Amino acid sequence: MSIAHTGAAVTPETGDGGSATEAIVVRRRRGRTSHARRRARTIGLLFAAPGLLIYGGVVLWPLVQSLQYSFYKWDGISASTWVGFQNYLNFFTDPVLRSTLGNVLVLIVFFAVLPIALGLLSAALITSGKRPGMAVYRWIFFLPQVLTSVVIALLFKRMYAPEGPINEALRAIGLGALAKNWLGDFTWALPAVGLIGTWVTFGFCMVLFIAGASSIPPELYEAARMDGAGPVREFFSVTLPGLRGQIAVALTLTITAALRAFDLIWITTRGGPGTSTLTPAVALYKAAFVNPDVGQAAAIGVVMAILCLIIAVVITRVSERE
Amino acid sequence: MISKNARFVAAAATGALAVLAVTACAPGGGNAAPSSGPTKVSDDVAAAGDVTLKLSDFWGSAEQDWIVSLIDQFEKKYPNVTIKRTQEDWGQLTSTLNLQMQDDGGPDIASANNGWSSLGTLAKGHLVLNLDAYADLYGWNEKVPTTIARQNKFTTDFKTIGEGSWFATPQARASLIGVYYNADVLKKLDITVPKTLADLEKAAAAVKAAGQVPFSYSGVDGNTAALLGLQALYGSEKDINDFVYGSRDVTAQDTGLTKAATTLQKWKSNGWLTPNFEGIDYQTSLADYLDGKGVFRFDYTGSLGLKGDQLNQFGYIQLPQASGDKTVGVGAAPGAMVISAKCKHPDVAAAFLNFLMSKQSSQTAADLGLVPALNDVATPDKLSQRGEAAATAKLDTDDGYVPYFDWSSPTMLDVLSQNTQLLLAGKTTPADFSKAVDADRTAFLAG
Repeated sequence: MSIAHTGAAVTPETGDGGSATEAIVVRRRRGRTSHARRRARTIGLLFAAPGLLIYGGVVLWPLVQSLQYSFYKWDGISASTWVGFQNYLNFFTDPVLRSTLGNVLVLIVFFAVLPIALGLLSAALITSGKRPGMAVYRWIFFLPQVLTSVVIALLFKRMYAPEGPINEALRAIGLGALAKNWLGDFTWALPAVGLIGTWVTFGFCMVLFIAGASSIPPELYEAARMDGAGPVREFFSVTLPGLRGQIAVALTLTITAALRAFDLIWITTRGGPGTSTLTPAVALYKAAFVNPDVGQAAAIGVVMAILCLIIAVVITRVSERE
Repeated sequence: MISKNARFVAAAATGALAVLAVTACAPGGGNAAPSSGPTKVSDDVAAAGDVTLKLSDFWGSAEQDWIVSLIDQFEKKYPNVTIKRTQEDWGQLTSTLNLQMQDDGGPDIASANNGWSSLGTLAKGHLVLNLDAYADLYGWNEKVPTTIARQNKFTTDFKTIGEGSWFATPQARASLIGVYYNADVLKKLDITVPKTLADLEKAAAAVKAAGQVPFSYSGVDGNTAALLGLQALYGSEKDINDFVYGSRDVTAQDTGLTKAATTLQKWKSNGWLTPNFEGIDYQTSLADYLDGKGVFRFDYTGSLGLKGDQLNQFGYIQLPQASGDKTVGVGAAPGAMVISAKCKHPDVAAAFLNFLMSKQSSQTAADLGLVPALNDVATPDKLSQRGEAAATAKLDTDDGYVPYFDWSSPTMLDVLSQNTQLLLAGKTTPADFSKAVDADRTAFLAG
């Protein structure tokens, strides 16, 4: 979403610092076309109106409502009480709710950092030279993206089971001591769930990076090679800077995916054991639909939305900086 | 560019706040119906003319057959009545019923979940009828054991659960927590069916010595059946009921929770629970149990879905208390039937609810392999069903039902499952477990 924003934001503008002549030219041009433009704009608005109305009805209005709910203690039906910022304070002071933020940081490593690092590596390997069957690899690694998350979660639940394939494989190669109750272990459940996220987002990052790398002019590589750069130097000096836009996209999408993580966790662990895999999204769901505390759920939602927005803005700003 | 964005954001924010200021109303509280319920009531269903009622419930498989059959029987008895049934799964219905009941096109009758989070919220929001007048009309106060009746009652200031007015009705069948056993394996190991907790522990040790798993157990999705089943063996019927219904004089320790947690922990360290239960989910462990892995299993009646030969392969015991010979058991009707405040024919709806408590209803339940309650009926001669029917008969006479402990606060189920996981991982003690439960309920009661 934020990506589209930056694209649209590059509209011509008469900066206040522009010279007088420039301003006159612009004004005259505006005067000449203003009628046609205004008409075009009205027609444009008309075309956009149905979409805008729906967007307003299903996104903006509920957003405003959520904001309102977040200041009340409300069970969803009976009269509500105004509690000010109490729901927000709870989110940061309640030990369980606060711990969900820590869990999300761990998930970001697994959903964003790891897949992007692996994606860059595999993109570099795949683009470094034509090898037979490369399309097959791309296809295989991208596959998780087209699978429904419920299917993925159920598959991994099987694989992580005490007698599941992962433990069996460990035992088969003599590493039986490492076999664990992956999803039932207070230390390992969160990384285990995180790795599912890595598996899902890795292929997406890789495909994105391969596409980006193919648009880097080959002359740059030739020049780098002429200057005596090896494959590693080439990667850091040409490929990586060339992929800055793609990395920004990947970071934004994967970090927000980590912040929103719900389905994988709900199906595999429900936030357990204890609260070791509880994420804000799961806590939100429980508050909204299981223990009716709509205000708390709304407050969690609003905080997460703001966090997502800040992260998206920071990433785009940083990636645009020269 | 930045300033333009900022201006837009500022404008949007002002707009939103203005909208809030204009609407100026707090969410909720739109239903100010009286909570005293209908005053002029009648049991004359035939006189009501042609009536169509919408029913939403969360019953599947055999329970679905039961409700469909009862609708059939009711419609035959009263040809002027049509009941249109919608089935939703349990989680779906309990999480959306609050919204459905606010809708004009919502159900007339629905199965809600007892406790504060579902039934309590509906009653407080005046979305369901106060049924006191019907209770008098049909004599529910005499017919239904107090411990079951309390599960459907709230005071009309909605501060207390477990007393006051009827807002829902039970059905002539029950869902209990008790111990299932694999009779084939017990016979093979030459162990007699335990009759007391001490017997059960002796049998478990013998099963373990024979190299088998004594208790089938799962940990991934937070299993509370064993803990609550044990609690009912230690706590008194009064203390557990009082705790759940919000009496501040009772602590979790008084309800036997600490003792139950200690016992469960001991069973774990004895190696009596399924190996690696921490990584096994409920469905897997249930399938393993039916497959012959594990001899005993605490579970809710009906959850095992026994059929055919399994009905004689597995038995059910409702253990008496650890001390004394009274039987206390976790049990409730499998749903709390409510009548919508928007229902246009409450008399007909109430007659149907009453029909669900009738002897025909019990008999239909028994015939379908479900657990009958409230009425004495003939049960099919199958091992597990004999055990289950004996359990409700004993609990009916002892008036020994205790509600599901997680009704004591909307967040209690989470607290119980999280702390059970912590307990069995050695990360909390039985005493701290009880403290966490007290803390959760205190926070809820403080509102």
